[in-house]
Amino acid sequence: MASMGTPAVVMDNGTGLTKLGFAGNDSPSYVFPTAIATSTASKATRGGRSTALSSKRGLEDLDFFIGDEALEAANGPSYGLSYPIKHGQIEDWDHMERFWESSIFKYLRCEPEDHYFLLTEPPLNPPENRESTAEIMFESFNCAGLYIAVQAVLALAASWTSPKVQDRSLSGTVIDSGDGVTHVIPVAEGYVIGTAIKNIPLAGRDITLFIQQLLRDRGEADTSLQTAEKIKQQFCYVCPDIVQEFNKFDQYPQEKFAQYIVEYAERKATVDVGYERFLAPEIFFNPEICSSDYLTPLPTVVDLVIQASPIDVRKKLYKNIVLSGGSTMFKDFGKRLQRDLKGLVNERIQRSERSSGAQSTGVDVQVISHKKQRYAVWFGGSLLAQTAEFKSYCYTKSDYDEYGPSIVRNFSLFSVP
Amino acid sequence: MLQIEPNNLLVQKTLTERIFPDSESLRSVDRIITDFDFTTYHISTLPDQKNLLLISIYLKCFGDLTKYGVIDYLNGKYAKYSQYLSVLSGNDVEQGYDYSLVLDLNELESIDDEGKNDVINELSFLKRHAMAAPFEKAFARYDELTQTYANSNTYSEEVQQELQNEEVLVIKYRGSDECIYIKPSFDRVTVIFSTVFQDETDKIFGKVFLQEFVDARKRSVQTAPQVLYSHKEAPLDIQNYVQGKKDDENKGYITFVLFPRHLVKGDRRDNCISHIQFFRNYFHYHIKCSKAYMHSRMRFRVKEFLKILNRAKPENVDDEGKAIENRKTASGRRFDVGRV
Amino acid sequence: MSQSLKPYLTAVRSSLTAAICVEDFSSQLVERHNRPEIEVDNTHNPELILNPMVIARNENEKILIEPSINSVRVSIKIKQADEIEQILVHKFTRFLTSRAENFFILRRVPIKGYDISFLITNFHTEQMLKDKLVDFIIEFMEDVDKEISEMKLFLNARARVIAEAYLTPFD
Repeated sequence: MASMGTPAVVMDNGTGLTKLGFAGNDSPSYVFPTAIATSTASKATRGGRSTALSSKRGLEDLDFFIGDEALEAANGPSYGLSYPIKHGQIEDWDHMERFWESSIFKYLRCEPEDHYFLLTEPPLNPPENRESTAEIMFESFNCAGLYIAVQAVLALAASWTSPKVQDRSLSGTVIDSGDGVTHVIPVAEGYVIGTAIKNIPLAGRDITLFIQQLLRDRGEADTSLQTAEKIKQQFCYVCPDIVQEFNKFDQYPQEKFAQYIVEYAERKATVDVGYERFLAPEIFFNPEICSSDYLTPLPTVVDLVIQASPIDVRKKLYKNIVLSGGSTMFKDFGKRLQRDLKGLVNERIQRSERSSGAQSTGVDVQVISHKKQRYAVWFGGSLLAQTAEFKSYCYTKSDYDEYGPSIVRNFSLFSVP
Repeated sequence: MLQIEPNNLLVQKTLTERIFPDSESLRSVDRIITDFDFTTYHISTLPDQKNLLLISIYLKCFGDLTKYGVIDYLNGKYAKYSQYLSVLSGNDVEQGYDYSLVLDLNELESIDDEGKNDVINELSFLKRHAMAAPFEKAFARYDELTQTYANSNTYSEEVQQELQNEEVLVIKYRGSDECIYIKPSFDRVTVIFSTVFQDETDKIFGKVFLQEFVDARKRSVQTAPQVLYSHKEAPLDIQNYVQGKKDDENKGYITFVLFPRHLVKGDRRDNCISHIQFFRNYFHYHIKCSKAYMHSRMRFRVKEFLKILNRAKPENVDDEGKAIENRKTASGRRFDVGRV
Repeated sequence: MSQSLKPYLTAVRSSLTAAICVEDFSSQLVERHNRPEIEVDNTHNPELILNPMVIARNENEKILIEPSINSVRVSIKIKQADEIEQILVHKFTRFLTSRAENFFILRRVPIKGYDISFLITNFHTEQMLKDKLVDFIIEFMEDVDKEISEMKLFLNARARVIAEAYLTPFD
């Protein structure tokens, strides 16, 4: 295997977390915050007219940390923390370039001249950003080849591992919920339908804060954010119906209530976990329980998104709804979404049947959840980049040298046999 | 990051996660990890025995390394862990890889944490150790030669001739274009790297860097190895060994002359090997870092130029972000925009 | 500022101020077209093109000003004393031209024999202050030289530090 050549590098730089790894692996090798800590001394010189020359050794640009080490370093006085990606798009190219530099040489330990790279971008990324990315990858790092894929499309590809998927098409609706925002993105034949994308300002962080609030209201022994985060990951699930679930809790308190034990260095504290087990993820379906300004439930948003897409792809979009990101990992999340969405769709079909009198052929609604959901985008990238054809979809350094940065405005779509 | 570390961080991380698992359940592992110069590791659990961890390494130049006794050298390195770490030999080596080790996690349980970390550490140096074999061999030969010629007149023609014919160790670590040549002598060991520059910028930046390597010894680090640089043309010592295109425009040869002070047995010799084998990676890494820094300078400059240009646009915003409209002179006359 | 630079820049400034004297002018060849006449192969109506002018500080540093009725093309040859400066100038100008969109007056491809070209049309002078445009070009010429030599100094300094950092641990 190894003699076939070096594995491609797959980098998924998100707003919050960066996923790094090699194609062929089933999960990213590194997952750490997309954060960079630069020495504050160098910042001062960068703003001024005389850069770097004023410094003694001129090594400030090598003095930085990324990821978890950055968070640690930023606790000290001499480093400042910054996040080069905002809302999915790269804002600070200087920092991003150095972030990649460290990712490649320190963490992945590979010579970019020997590897092909697969990077991801958010939907509606301006082509100029692609060009700047290519400029860095090819001119600074001389990387052998580059492919930039849209995150939503990779998430679709990742769902091909699920047994529910029969045809490996690149059409479907992607629900991508990370820490900050939840996106609903329709994709038709590998192209994102930009006009129909909708964002929901509720995601992982809001769930955690909601749990923390409930814990505080009850006056639990430990109400830190970490505890809330742990409770979210370990105990939360999506219920079919809140009222029934409340009844169940009252009838079988033994089974339903749980306890989470927080361990400190010297003592332990016990935190009771109650209704938040099902209430917290419920904010996707009944946002009014936690937010006062955003009130549209997720199934309705998905329905709106698909209705806003061209009519000839809607059936495919309903049939292939793919989940991606950590906040879609709650148990039965997919089931509930499917049921609620089916309800909305059936209601509409009945209405139109009544008013037109014609029989509808029906719409198939299917939500696909699979094992690789958490890092679906990265996994989709890994899947694509390990195929033998991957290199033929990439642009190489010689292509870049010949045509210039504008070559990366278009990448051919991939298909996995 | 200034120096390239000799150990592989990811191997270390993967093994640590496996040996000190978060949860009780033993999950199977199957990971590919790379290192510089076309090196690939494969860390996987055996299909039926999840307690056995197979660690394999592939190096592009393993064929060359075997000539210089890499297998014995590695076996020696890992022999002290034989209780739980066994080396696979011959046909048992994982297919597609060059050297395989099996780590028995059950056996490892009985060791204290310090011992476990020690194994993890040593395994993360796998590539360093593999590449060290030819250096060790050359250095051993140097020890021999020092003995042989201790009392002879080394300036005599015969001795010079013999030394001239000393065998050169060749490691094609990145294919036939980029090699390491090692030539032992009685009072020195010469290590020559050949390297290829991918593009024009690299070539010129590389030249500037190498000139400084050559000068550094004269200027500040007197005790350092002597460095020589030649562009395109191979040094005399190795001319007979160079394969591939003879006069490639993008090729450079860097010679390090290691003196006895660098070759003192023990830690210093080990350090020297760890350090010199990563020369190419270090060198190219810093060329790339400088290019990245140039980029950030140019971005800054572009911003400055745009500021100047935007001053020419009268309807543009001023420094406070307010739109400047209808600027008037003291007497109330307007600036005439356009044809002046 | 060195001795000869000031007169050089003064000459460029006054020549540019004189040359940027452009007006709206529709194409005489193609109906309803309005194109920068200096960019058109103008064998048909040479009366629209004025005499080009070269101001040279030395053989490595010069500026070519090509005026016409509705556009002026300004091409600059940036000082390149050695290989390093050559590659730095090349990198820098390419970096600039790939961002030409933001620069309005920057030409994506320089004129042969020069490193960077600007094209100023009557549309530019209608939107922007002419004096400031001239200021920009002058400042550009000054800053480019400064930037290139600073980059070169940086490269040498960096190389020295890197070499020392590599060679020191041997001992």
